Amino acid sequence: MSGILLSLALLTVIKATPIVYAALGGVISERSGVVNIGLEGMMIAGAFTAVVVSYYSQNPVLGLFGGVAAGALFGFVLAVAATRFKVDQIVAGTGINLICAGGAAYGLVIIFNQPGASNQVNALGGDYWVLIAFALPCVAALHWLLYRTPWGLRLRACGENPAAVRSAGLDPLALRMWAVTLSGAFAGLGGAFLSVGELNLYSDGMTAGRGFIALAAVIFGRWTPAGAFAAALVFGFFEALQFVLQGRIAWLPPDAMQALPYVAALIALAGVTGKVRAPAADGVPY
Amino acid sequence: MDPGAALNALVLRGIVKVYPGVRAVDGVDLHLVPGEIHALVGENGAGKSTLASIAFGEIAADAGTVESAGVVGLVHQHFELIGRLRVWQNVLLGREPRRGWRIDIDAARERVRALARDNGFSIDVDAFVDDLPIGIAQRVELLRELDRNPAVLLLDEPTAALAPAEIDAFFTTVRGLAERGTAVMIVTHKLQEVISYSATISVMRAGKIVARMETADVTLDDVARAMVGGRVPAVAPRTQTELRPCVSIERLRAGEGGGHIESLSLEVRGGEIVGIAGVEGNGQTTLADALTGTIAYSGEIQKTGMGIIPQDRQREALVMSWPVTDNAILGRQRGRSGKRLMVDRKGARDDAQWIASHFDVRAASLERPVRTLSGGNQQKLVVGRALIDGSPFVLAYNPTRGIDVGAAALVQSRLMQARNDGAAILLVSFELDEILALADRVIVIYRGAIAGSFDREAFDRAAIGRLMAGGS
Amino acid sequence: MKREARAFAGPIVAVLAIAALMSAAMLVAGTTPVAGFSALIAGALGGRNEIGETLVATTALLFPALGIALAFRAGLFNIGAEGQLLVGALFAGAVGPLLTIPPAAAFVLLFFLGALGGFVWGGIAGWMKARFNANEVISTLMLNFVAASLTLELAGGPLRGPVASGAETAWLPNAYWLPTLISHTRLSTGILVALAVAVALHFVFSRTVFGYELRATGEAPEAARRNGINIARITWLSLALSGAIAGMGGAAIVTGELHRFNTQLSPGYGFTAIAVALVGDLRPLWICVAAFGFGILEAGGLSMQASVQVPKDAIHVIEGLIVLILAARRYVVTRAHGASA
Repeated sequence: MSGILLSLALLTVIKATPIVYAALGGVISERSGVVNIGLEGMMIAGAFTAVVVSYYSQNPVLGLFGGVAAGALFGFVLAVAATRFKVDQIVAGTGINLICAGGAAYGLVIIFNQPGASNQVNALGGDYWVLIAFALPCVAALHWLLYRTPWGLRLRACGENPAAVRSAGLDPLALRMWAVTLSGAFAGLGGAFLSVGELNLYSDGMTAGRGFIALAAVIFGRWTPAGAFAAALVFGFFEALQFVLQGRIAWLPPDAMQALPYVAALIALAGVTGKVRAPAADGVPY
Repeated sequence: MDPGAALNALVLRGIVKVYPGVRAVDGVDLHLVPGEIHALVGENGAGKSTLASIAFGEIAADAGTVESAGVVGLVHQHFELIGRLRVWQNVLLGREPRRGWRIDIDAARERVRALARDNGFSIDVDAFVDDLPIGIAQRVELLRELDRNPAVLLLDEPTAALAPAEIDAFFTTVRGLAERGTAVMIVTHKLQEVISYSATISVMRAGKIVARMETADVTLDDVARAMVGGRVPAVAPRTQTELRPCVSIERLRAGEGGGHIESLSLEVRGGEIVGIAGVEGNGQTTLADALTGTIAYSGEIQKTGMGIIPQDRQREALVMSWPVTDNAILGRQRGRSGKRLMVDRKGARDDAQWIASHFDVRAASLERPVRTLSGGNQQKLVVGRALIDGSPFVLAYNPTRGIDVGAAALVQSRLMQARNDGAAILLVSFELDEILALADRVIVIYRGAIAGSFDREAFDRAAIGRLMAGGS
Repeated sequence: MKREARAFAGPIVAVLAIAALMSAAMLVAGTTPVAGFSALIAGALGGRNEIGETLVATTALLFPALGIALAFRAGLFNIGAEGQLLVGALFAGAVGPLLTIPPAAAFVLLFFLGALGGFVWGGIAGWMKARFNANEVISTLMLNFVAASLTLELAGGPLRGPVASGAETAWLPNAYWLPTLISHTRLSTGILVALAVAVALHFVFSRTVFGYELRATGEAPEAARRNGINIARITWLSLALSGAIAGMGGAAIVTGELHRFNTQLSPGYGFTAIAVALVGDLRPLWICVAAFGFGILEAGGLSMQASVQVPKDAIHVIEGLIVLILAARRYVVTRAHGASA
């Protein structure tokens, strides 16, 4: 029994990690006032690019950085769209999701000559624990940045009332630019963890909505780094639970069980959104 | 008329700002002298706020120059505060004292406390702005500008949300600033304050400065005439009416926290205008929401079919992207029976036509989006829609806010005529003058309860003002 | 003058950007743009069969696009059309093989079942939004995954057909296959149903009180609420109806194209349909035109992949780019998570 609990705990931490990183990205972006529906796409970009870089360089750490850069690039695209062009952020984020999913599928055929999945590449292997552990200092650092530094104060102000930030002589659009780009970098890291951390390849659909689960975690965690972290652990737990139960309890329908983390996110979303308040200017172009 | 620039804290020359279809500011010269309170007056839409924003540097002028002797500060009409941040965070945003990479919180708090002390008041620097009454919130906005040590301070409609007593305290602070050498300009349409507190006055009309006066030399009427450029339009006369029971509210309880309603009973009879006087945020919005059924409440409300003039026409009354015709039936789309399944398009056109002609809605075409109409014409549409069915009860919430004198007079006249024809009218307004002009009965509301009631014969401006501020 | 010039410049730049990206995708894949675009056009419009395939894709896209437009006009971003289509298809596919009623009644019943499945699936998100103010973007997307798992479980288990190769139901009897519209193609009369839905939706938007209230809610929720419109009702109903239309699309695929339910029956129609709805400016009749355009891309993309080896996924990148570009236009009043329904 304790063996099951231990493997459940370990699996929870592993499954939660990519959601944690993406959710931290979501917190940064939404605190600055930009809803980042594109987290999913940025995770895809991170996951795919990490594999490609590792494939060519044989170096998974370089791949990791490549994944972060790819996520940041699409974060930057959304940032420009949201600030310079004041687009509908949800529509733009959806566009980014489609571009990244389509782009990765295209890239698979071009680079690996096969649809569906990449070749196996050098991955972090056992070293991926470093990446799992790294999530904690990230949460702490982001908390410190948001609540202790001038930059964090300004970022939070930006998500509440960008006009006030403007009249304080600051540039709210520049703040949002950086925030959304950074948000993409985090999502890219989360995606890269999936492909060169947990596994050693990219396959179509491998992010499986984790970017959206991360968004649910942001809401469930009340837009705070620590809260989002805790919420990501909860969702990671349900994903782990589904794996642990599948092998052990015969009468459970295996395919339906895959819905568990999503159902958990749905219930969390319904249970909590009435009681929390988003940043006042979240999603509103300035 | 053009003293040496060195003497002036702020000099504007030849300022022009054009928006699509309107020259908002049309060649303005203006100078402000250190130590003096200058008033910039004009009707809504005269270009005052645009000019202030240009002086502040928030909006770029199309032509002209702005020279100032130092930092220019601007206190906005709609406060630009962040409700979920603390007082000190709001005041010092962008100029946070640091210790290394962090904010030096202790130094920050002390700096804001000292700044408040220097200006003759104290404030809880750790309070969240959301939890502050409006009068205090405005001080936060003022402190934020003062922390930048401005040579020029611009105040855009600074007293719009203040009770009469708070207005006095506010101007005491502003006078202190001026005495220490700051050039102050208040932008306002409240002439009483202009006469009481300013040294010089500029009058703005249709984007131009049409007069500059020494306050000591002029009367309120002089300023009013200069502002509208002629006679002030008259409001329809009040006639004798027979009062009939219409609306009754008993022990109403609604909302929570600031702006809640605490056991309020009230009657509005057909043939009278009941004015709700009070400072913004004392429960007026909750009362209106309960009456329109948009929030839950306890207690009893008996009413008949009602016409509604919501307070924010662009957000709460109109679909800005829709044409006049479609907006004319909003809220009435189900017809009198309430069971209509198909939109009555011909009826909508007829109604729009009727409102346009009876309420003087000037639109290039009734098929143009209402977004393209001026604020005054939008409001006339909203008022016309509220009155078109001859509803026995009309709720009018700040019905003339932000519209020009002509449109305001028309709106007030139509409300008066509806009253004369027997409608019960509940007028909620933050402009005491409007209430005193229109109402048959004034009810003062303070912190969600009725603080006093006055019949028209017994109107007492000073007493009403005291009750609005929580006095007795 | 200047502003007019700019109004023209935008779309031209957008079209050029899309063409450039598409050309790049072809060059990277080792084909010249001339060959690539010829393959695409030929594959979509080059003959009776090709046009048939284009219209098959048009049909499959039109239903979910109309559904998405309905939700969108109400100010709700439904990205769950894929799941709603799938559940609708499952409903039709589960019942279809069991029927013994006359074909005409069966067609009505099967489309009704498709609509019902989508109605339930969209209605869940709608209920969550109206009751708990749960963000519909996230909930509809989550429900896509739940739908995928559930349909896989059911079609792979209790509903699995006797001769099925994968997770699919039994075949519908021949009598319940929608008649072919153009002989020797796979195009069924389902496209007529889709067009009829488009016309009906146009009528709902422009003539009915429900459509009026729905549009008011989407354009100005606060004004709608204050003028007595029941926003909660509009909210759940429009997401449910949005799902119902997408679900009819599922039924159309089952009765008109595959003649059974298969979990792989949609290659992402529900997502492509977002682009279709936006390009069609959320107006039902323009969406028909847009769906044909995207039908060309889908069908042409497949044959481009087959003949000149440019992965069809390049088409999806293009679709995403179109959505990103169109985001610059304002569709709905932004309702952040906290804004009340």
